[in-house]
Amino acid sequence: MMFRTRLLLIFAVALTAAVGIVELIVSSSARRAFESMEARRVNAIVAQFDKEFQRRGEEIVRTVEGIADSAAAREIAITPDPSAYLLEAGTLASTNRLDLLELVAGDGARIVSSAQWQARFGYREDWLASEPDWQSHPAFLKREELPDAVTLALMAVRTVAAGDMKLYVAGGRKLDREFIASLVAPQGMRVLLYRNLAPGFAPSELIDAGGPVASSSLLRPLVEQVETQRREAFGTIGRGASAETFHALPLKGRDNDVLGVLLVGNSLSDLVLLESSMLQTAVIVAVTGILLAIVLSWWATARITRPVQQLAESAGRVAAGNWGATVEVASQDEIGQLAAAFNRMTHELVEQRDRLVQAERVAAWRELARRLAHELKNPLFPLQITVENMQRAREKYPEQFDEVFREGTSTLLAELANLKQIIGRFSDFAKMPAPEMQPVNLNDLVTETMRLFEAQLGKAGISASVQLDPALRPVRVDGEQMTRVLRNLVLNAVDAMPGGGTLSVRTAALGAGVRLEVSDTGQGLTPEECERLFTPYYTTKTHGTGLGLAIVQSVVSDHKGRISVESEKGKGTTFRIDLG
Amino acid sequence: MSSRWFVQTKRIAPLLLLAAFGPAATRPHYGGTLRVEIRESPPSPEVFGAPKGFVLTTWEAGRRAIFTADENAPGGRPFLDNVDIQLARSLRDQSVDLELGKADVVELGLAELRRQAAGRRAWSSAPVRLMALVFGPRITDARVREALALAVDRSAIHSVLLQKQGEISGALLPQWITGYSFVFSATADVAKAQALVAALGPADRTLSLAVDDPANRSIADRIQLNARDAHLTVSIVPATANADVRLVETRIPSADASHALASIALAFGLNEPAPARNPEEQYLAERALLDGYRVIPLFHLPDVYGAGPRVQGGPVIDQLGEWRFDSLWLEDRP
Repeated sequence: MMFRTRLLLIFAVALTAAVGIVELIVSSSARRAFESMEARRVNAIVAQFDKEFQRRGEEIVRTVEGIADSAAAREIAITPDPSAYLLEAGTLASTNRLDLLELVAGDGARIVSSAQWQARFGYREDWLASEPDWQSHPAFLKREELPDAVTLALMAVRTVAAGDMKLYVAGGRKLDREFIASLVAPQGMRVLLYRNLAPGFAPSELIDAGGPVASSSLLRPLVEQVETQRREAFGTIGRGASAETFHALPLKGRDNDVLGVLLVGNSLSDLVLLESSMLQTAVIVAVTGILLAIVLSWWATARITRPVQQLAESAGRVAAGNWGATVEVASQDEIGQLAAAFNRMTHELVEQRDRLVQAERVAAWRELARRLAHELKNPLFPLQITVENMQRAREKYPEQFDEVFREGTSTLLAELANLKQIIGRFSDFAKMPAPEMQPVNLNDLVTETMRLFEAQLGKAGISASVQLDPALRPVRVDGEQMTRVLRNLVLNAVDAMPGGGTLSVRTAALGAGVRLEVSDTGQGLTPEECERLFTPYYTTKTHGTGLGLAIVQSVVSDHKGRISVESEKGKGTTFRIDLG
Repeated sequence: MSSRWFVQTKRIAPLLLLAAFGPAATRPHYGGTLRVEIRESPPSPEVFGAPKGFVLTTWEAGRRAIFTADENAPGGRPFLDNVDIQLARSLRDQSVDLELGKADVVELGLAELRRQAAGRRAWSSAPVRLMALVFGPRITDARVREALALAVDRSAIHSVLLQKQGEISGALLPQWITGYSFVFSATADVAKAQALVAALGPADRTLSLAVDDPANRSIADRIQLNARDAHLTVSIVPATANADVRLVETRIPSADASHALASIALAFGLNEPAPARNPEEQYLAERALLDGYRVIPLFHLPDVYGAGPRVQGGPVIDQLGEWRFDSLWLEDRP
């Protein structure tokens, strides 16, 4: 991945992550604040409900007490025949604005008159007798049966005592939508009441100020949870902007059974809108940030990656051999320091190369001089001796001078020829021509070359082993130069085996190229010798110019090939040539 | 529909004064118009017959009937000059009119019986009306009918709703006619009713009950409640509905048991009873009609009239509910 792309990604990711984190923090804070506010509002509603509940309870208690204290109630309490008062409860309930009122004779707790269910006269209300003292008992919730339904009511009971006669006055008001309507809920909140009037969830009993709630089934699990656990519960219904949290509180009766559930709902639409708005803002900021990141990255790459790219290009030129490549130092920062260091490095490289070239040149000239001196010294000495013999014969033995002269000139000519040959070899190395490439079957080249060496190898006690790969395809080489290469390697192997041995020549197909190996079973070479083997004028032999393997390497290099040597002391040496 | 006015028959039973309140009788004198209100609206004046000593002089169908004293009546002219009867007046309106002095004689409903103002008089006839539950053809299972018969607590209704007026009865004919009506059980047995209902399928436990007279709605409500105790579900439907069972009243048309039984059987759609030559056969005939609980007799009820303070003499009705305007006079008060 390009540094520029990476930089862009880093900018974009960093900015997006930052925006995301900020959005998360802000959103979380907003949610906590909203939840805190919601809790306060719910508490306020619940407190309002409790207050209204208590107020109505006290009002009902006062009303029932008023009825119990009335002359009519005392008259009913003492009457031996209460049947004449069948409609009395209805009248009293209507007068006192009670939804429910029953006058129950203390003797046997039988209903004398019932406002809510007139036909129930004479029926027993045993629950009234179960409470020893109703006079100080506050209002309570009660499930009250009506002719055609069951209702939930806030009830109060008082007794009328007249001598040993007693009358229960049980009155109350329904807990219905009118009661819910009296609770003022803030905007976004609503209050629902579920009246637990029968086993199982009854959707019609979940009411608000307007009557039965439409989405009652959604609240069923919450209501059932409160009924089962008999304690406050929380839940959320709906999704998105229509989501609503509900706090459900149990409304218990005298026996601590759950007769109703008060549900305070709080719409999450404001929170959802707020979160949505924040998310939109975050997205806009992130998109803007990414665009900014692109611009910044372009700017940054202009400032940072361009010098780096120039450095990379310069390094490439150095790798290609242009050691003098430099970059422009445009700043004083790290990139500028890097460019200056690069320039210093290339400058040092050029200087070191020059010094090395100079040193190698001096060394080469010294080696050349040494070799020349060595090569020329051998023929010069017989020349000197011959000339001195000829001088001495002319001075001391004139009669033998002619014979000495004849022999001397013959020797002189031989040695001069030797000198000429030495000079020719040096001249050949200096004049190595460019290869003329053409398809050549290397197997044929090997076969022909080895045939020329048969006699020489036999004389030296060397057996030849030629292993040619029949799958070898023709390769484009200069046949003459490759013959010279093989000849030099064979001669080198013959020289390495003065006591005889085995010369192995192998060819092998190597992918698209070929491999040629020449092995001997001579004394082998040390690693140090292997390293310097291809250096011009270096030789391990007592004779030779040290140019043979240098010529081999030069030819192979001109053919874009590669030559390597493997040798183990005492076991022999193998030269391996790979040609493309 | 049986009419209450047929009783202008020829047999006048001895008057029974069941209730007499108010100031001491004053000396009779002639004159005045007695203002009477009734609920019913008979289609023709014939149903009124001819109250003793009076002749029909005005008839406004559905609204009004005026009887005028017959100067030549056998036994002498009645004290009243006229009897002005207003028809189709609700019980409540009648009660209000009596309170306000707009009427002299009105019918008294059950609610009015409970709160009779001081100084008012109320006359009651012998039990001349039968209140009963009559099953329709849909209810084929006799156990349902018997369960409802056993569930109804007649005594509570009689004591409270009927203010002890009339008689509790399990018979079609009242005790005062046959003398054996007490033999027919009228006792509630909720446990037995529950046992009968337990053997029924859910569909058979539901009944619809129609009430012909809205004044009897409270009795129907109580029957509904009693039925619930027996695990029967009774829903009260409008009188016009084709209900499973109806709460009806019918007038005892005659003091003659055979005649009365035949009329009741006809009114309730029962088979015509066999003619009875003696009380035993009469009893068996009635028993046969009640077998199967197609009809559940509940009460025998009297006609009850209330009279304002102007009305003197009386009573206004005889044993079978026949009007006796000839013994009344009006005491004008300031």
